Amino acid sequence: MSLIELDAVDFHYRDGVSAVRGLSSRFDEGELVAIIGPNGAGKSTLLKLIARVIAPQGGEIRFRGIRIGEIAPRAYAREVGYLPQEQESVFPMRALEVVASGRAPFLRRFQWESEGDYELARRALADCDALHLADRYLDEMSGGERKRIFLARVLCGDPKLILLDEPLTALDVSHTQTFISLIRRIVDQTGKAVLFVSHDLNWSAAYADRMMVMNAGSVVLDAGPAEVMQPEVMKRHFGFDALAVRSDGEGGVAWIVPDAGRHKPR
Amino acid sequence: MGSWTIRPVSLSRETVIGALVLGGILLGVMILSMFFGAVDLGPRAVWSGDHVARTILLQIRLPRVLLAALVGAILAGAGATFQTMLRNPLADPFILGVSGGAACGAAIASAFRLARYPGVVPAFAFAGACLAIAVVLALSRRHGTSDPVRLLLAGLVLNAFFSALILLALALTAGSDLTSALRWMMGSLAGAVWTDVRLLSIAFVVSFALLVTVAGDLRMLDFGEDDARSRGVPLERVRLTAFLAASLATGAAVAVSGIIGFVGLLVPHAIRLVLPRDYRLLLPLSVLGGATLLVASDTLARVMVAPAELPIGAVTAFLGVPFFLILLRRS
Repeated sequence: MSLIELDAVDFHYRDGVSAVRGLSSRFDEGELVAIIGPNGAGKSTLLKLIARVIAPQGGEIRFRGIRIGEIAPRAYAREVGYLPQEQESVFPMRALEVVASGRAPFLRRFQWESEGDYELARRALADCDALHLADRYLDEMSGGERKRIFLARVLCGDPKLILLDEPLTALDVSHTQTFISLIRRIVDQTGKAVLFVSHDLNWSAAYADRMMVMNAGSVVLDAGPAEVMQPEVMKRHFGFDALAVRSDGEGGVAWIVPDAGRHKPR
Repeated sequence: MGSWTIRPVSLSRETVIGALVLGGILLGVMILSMFFGAVDLGPRAVWSGDHVARTILLQIRLPRVLLAALVGAILAGAGATFQTMLRNPLADPFILGVSGGAACGAAIASAFRLARYPGVVPAFAFAGACLAIAVVLALSRRHGTSDPVRLLLAGLVLNAFFSALILLALALTAGSDLTSALRWMMGSLAGAVWTDVRLLSIAFVVSFALLVTVAGDLRMLDFGEDDARSRGVPLERVRLTAFLAASLATGAAVAVSGIIGFVGLLVPHAIRLVLPRDYRLLLPLSVLGGATLLVASDTLARVMVAPAELPIGAVTAFLGVPFFLILLRRS
């Protein structure tokens, strides 16, 4: 049985954009899956559907074989952690409390975070190399630091499935590497499944087990990085004129670079 | 490693300590406030056999001090709630037009001579408050979030409209004058009686209890609606509860005291300045801070131009407007 399974899922917004149309797919434990595709392909919508931010208008989503609508929202929130694209707090807050609020689905009404919850929060911060930020305020952190705090917040709830919407944006190359290798390590060490949306094809290909290409609300290709990182695929699904560059010892995966020759001004 | 870290006190303990400190300050300010007024009465008057002194203290000053505390507690608690609910640091019952709506409802009820039926004026005020917040929300929401600037503009326009309605309602009533309009629009605690205190205590307790039940969920809105939903927060129910609780309390407060602005803005921000924490701490401390601020403001309103009185709304505006401008510049 798959961890999560989507069966002919439909969703469209009232203004018609960013729909998901008849999407079927499945994800298993221990998988790191990159969801790629052009703007408006429905990638974020897909994550929101799985995270139960929105409900499908057709088809169904099953978690370990159970329709997610039948699982109590808080119980589901303990299994599935979601990091939205933009995550910002309007009011200043300490990092440790932000991370500890990831324990909310485990708290009863009127119950405060216990010392145990704070301990889990510290451990999650340490896993994200951010323990030194515990007493700092969010608004005095860099974008990369804040990203790590919010990843720690998701990890703090110890979910089986983690959904990350564009976790790599606003990170410089060194932080991108730290962040994505951290996610890789989590998948390998804990057997969690991670689905992340990204526009960065090469970083995704370097670390993901699987790349799911979406276009116009559907999955148009779902395969290993070697199969996805091809100039024809780029042209067909992204309208992107690309060259594939091979380096030695990369297990057959090519890097995609822009084909500048075809767009040079005369 | 050889480094050491300061172990932060847990949030629950911070809340209890903060509440004890603020509660103590509130009590002190209330006791002091009892001994300011048109007649010079010292603490000794309480134990003296002087009937006049006792009447002044127990029938005039005590209800007024209690009423000021309740109104302040309600307005600041509503401000903290609206700010958290709308994720907007400038939200407050006055700026959003909720107080204006409530005053309008109350003024209409009294203009039509419905004030003699108990509970009718507060009911109209509650309806006005609900109407105002519903309109402001509908006007300011775009793509699922409330835009701060649209929120302010909607509140501004609504306030102008409600002021006009109040004036119209009073103009249509024979025998009323502009003084009563001023009473609604600038707020006053003069003439406080024990029935007002009783009514407001009930509104406060009901509303505060409702807000406490949703506090754990409401604070999850700090990170956005999508995030809260994904964490299993029943957002619609939580929002509706908070919305009704805040409107109910604001309606009752305005029905007895008119529009007193800026308390709901000033107090939660002052609390956040010292302890930037989530709504579970913000709500109780704002309630205590708001009560303290309004008792102190009312004392000032009574003594600044004695033997006359300033409208209390003028005092809170003197304090609140500079604060608002600083916040606006920063956001």
